[in-house]
Amino acid sequence: MNKIAPRQLYFLLAAVMPVGKLILMPTQLAYYAKNDLLFPAAANFLLQAGIIFLIMLLSRSNRTFYDMLCYTFGKIAAKIVLSSLALFLFFAALLPLFEQKLMVQSVFYDTLPSIVAFAPFYLFSAYLCAKPLCNFGRAWDIIAPISIVGFFGIMLLSVSNAEFSALAPVGVNGAGGFFGGTAYTMSWFFDSALLLVLIGKFEYKKGMAWKSAVSYLIGAAAVLVFLAVFYGIFSDIAERQFFAFSKISKYFSGMTVLGRIDYLFIYSLALVMAYFCALPVHAGVDCLTQAYGNDGVKPVIFSVAINGILLVLSFVLDYRFGVLNDTITKTLFWIFPAFSVLMPLLALLLRRKPREKV
Amino acid sequence: MKKFDRFVKTIPMKLYILIAVLLIFAFFSNDFGLVDIQKTAVILAAGVDRTEEGFLLTAQIAVPKGTERSSCGTASIDVEGEGKTVAECVSQIYSKTGWVPKLIFCNLLLFGEETAEQDVIGCMDYFLRNEYMQDNCFVAVSEGSANGMLTTKSATEDTTSLAMEKLFSDAAGKSGKVMKNTLKEFAIGYYGESGSGFMPFIRAKDQDCGSESGGGAGSDASGSGGGSQSSSSAQGEEQKKIYSAEETAIFSNGKMVGMLPPEQTFTFSLLKGNVFSGTFLSEEDGKPVSVTVLKNKGGVKLDTKNKPKITLSVDLKIRLHNRGVPSPIEDVANEKVSDEVQQAAQERIGTFMHELWENCKTSGCDLFQLKRELYRSSPKKYGEWKDTLLTTADVEIKPNVKSIQ
Repeated sequence: MNKIAPRQLYFLLAAVMPVGKLILMPTQLAYYAKNDLLFPAAANFLLQAGIIFLIMLLSRSNRTFYDMLCYTFGKIAAKIVLSSLALFLFFAALLPLFEQKLMVQSVFYDTLPSIVAFAPFYLFSAYLCAKPLCNFGRAWDIIAPISIVGFFGIMLLSVSNAEFSALAPVGVNGAGGFFGGTAYTMSWFFDSALLLVLIGKFEYKKGMAWKSAVSYLIGAAAVLVFLAVFYGIFSDIAERQFFAFSKISKYFSGMTVLGRIDYLFIYSLALVMAYFCALPVHAGVDCLTQAYGNDGVKPVIFSVAINGILLVLSFVLDYRFGVLNDTITKTLFWIFPAFSVLMPLLALLLRRKPREKV
Repeated sequence: MKKFDRFVKTIPMKLYILIAVLLIFAFFSNDFGLVDIQKTAVILAAGVDRTEEGFLLTAQIAVPKGTERSSCGTASIDVEGEGKTVAECVSQIYSKTGWVPKLIFCNLLLFGEETAEQDVIGCMDYFLRNEYMQDNCFVAVSEGSANGMLTTKSATEDTTSLAMEKLFSDAAGKSGKVMKNTLKEFAIGYYGESGSGFMPFIRAKDQDCGSESGGGAGSDASGSGGGSQSSSSAQGEEQKKIYSAEETAIFSNGKMVGMLPPEQTFTFSLLKGNVFSGTFLSEEDGKPVSVTVLKNKGGVKLDTKNKPKITLSVDLKIRLHNRGVPSPIEDVANEKVSDEVQQAAQERIGTFMHELWENCKTSGCDLFQLKRELYRSSPKKYGEWKDTLLTTADVEIKPNVKSIQ
């Protein structure tokens, strides 16, 4: 049975999806919106929460996205749409993967480690992506509490060092800061596209739509608090502080006596991030499997092939992250709302039942 | 056969666990905490001086002390690198020694006096960009050159930088005698609206150690390559030094523009509310009396209602600590401070506060980050007053010194 429980979905939305936004997104936000960084982030979160609510309404039919596409346009068109969604998800996976890779290399090592240090991730990802969704769901049951403990641990050690007056004056960066911050951080907001793949993979129960949106907003609130603490600690040099979540807790005064106890929490979140990074790849593989059939071997082939390509890309683009980041977040940022806002909205128009044969 | 089937069924799970273990090893290994001392230069402190060519970087590198049981402490050697940029200096150190410079343990960045007067941000740039550099390392200006200071021999430690870092301990900070600062805080001050900051100013004084060799016994660390290294623990003949950081260098736009003498450094600490158990002098009947600060509240307030008005306030609770004259036992048993001592202490602190403010005003250093505060409270008024805030604002000095009880 390739289904997940509603509880697992809430865990995903509230505790797994937000961790992907803690590495480089705060820096990018600080670069464009400076002290107003909370507003673009809030705008993106609210937009995603709204879309998630609508997608959940769509899932009341308990049909998959592929089924609905088939009912409306036929199988060929459904395959084309799902293949394009898979391509988008593989593209969206690049940023979290490279963020995670750089974070591991910078935070867990004292000098630049060998390029292969991150390579085992692709073994892990290839295995995980070949497994049915229910396996992922069980993983969320375990990693969501780890994520919550890690997040609260880091915040506990950090909040006392934050000077929240750094967030003032509110709105001083104007519309340019707001729209720049919103647009150029959209690459981190593809949560609704992930959810689109999940519909029909859980039994819809009454109230799930608003519960899902609220779960997502709980995670969003945590990220906003994180952003406020981050800017409160680094203020004018925030845009230089990459790998934000691993840095904000090290100024805790007790650290001189206790050592870097914050690493416990950083490791916890890094573990959750490893699962998060595999999520869009898994969703992409799932799209391909739905489109081209699941004979038991195809998911393995897709998973190995995609992860192999990502591994090669990680070697080829090892020192070109700046270019990759600019391409994804600045040049091609519009792709993200196309798939995570426009596509779910258009999906609302799809038929949820097969056409009646005349 | 059943057993075999069961075994085959559990293979994926076993494989999964194996991969998870591999992943965890790779992610969390941190090179398994191993630092190959034969290949790595563990830099404890870095000193930067500007030269005609560019920069002179002096890296104090920890080295193994040998196997003698009597040896203790940390031995180090000082390796110099010259270049047009700090990065080039680091590369030169690498090529000279064959050691990969590791900055993760660097706890002190020292800048030469002349370098600080010219500009420190150009020197800091390398360290700000380096992802492996700890941004909470201490920053300081040295009397003379940073190279000269780092290559002196400490009377208290085998390694000079460790002796200097002791000046920046939490206890030293609470005494109010030192205003320590970190790379991160200095950078925030520079890149913010105020463009100002401070660093402790380190001076070295000769210390007569008699016939003692001092420091660790028998440490004769040596480094390989080049003639520019000097072994800081192999200079038994050299005059030993002790260090002080009671003065504070103040900066505007990355340049050292003035100096706070010890009294003003102490007052700056009081204004920051840092002092606990710190002592200062007052007087009674024309004789000196030491008092201890038991409670310190300090603050700088900017009022922007009409004309900018700045209020410097210090509230202290003090007790009697020491008299320089014989006293009756009733007096020794009494910690309470007389009104005269309180008054004298208040006047003294008030004078220091006034001098501190004048010093900042004349040097153009926005030490209290008032422009930043103005910007945060009113960007419009910031635009109007930012250039004249320090010189035209009304200033109110409010020292308030009370005895305990």
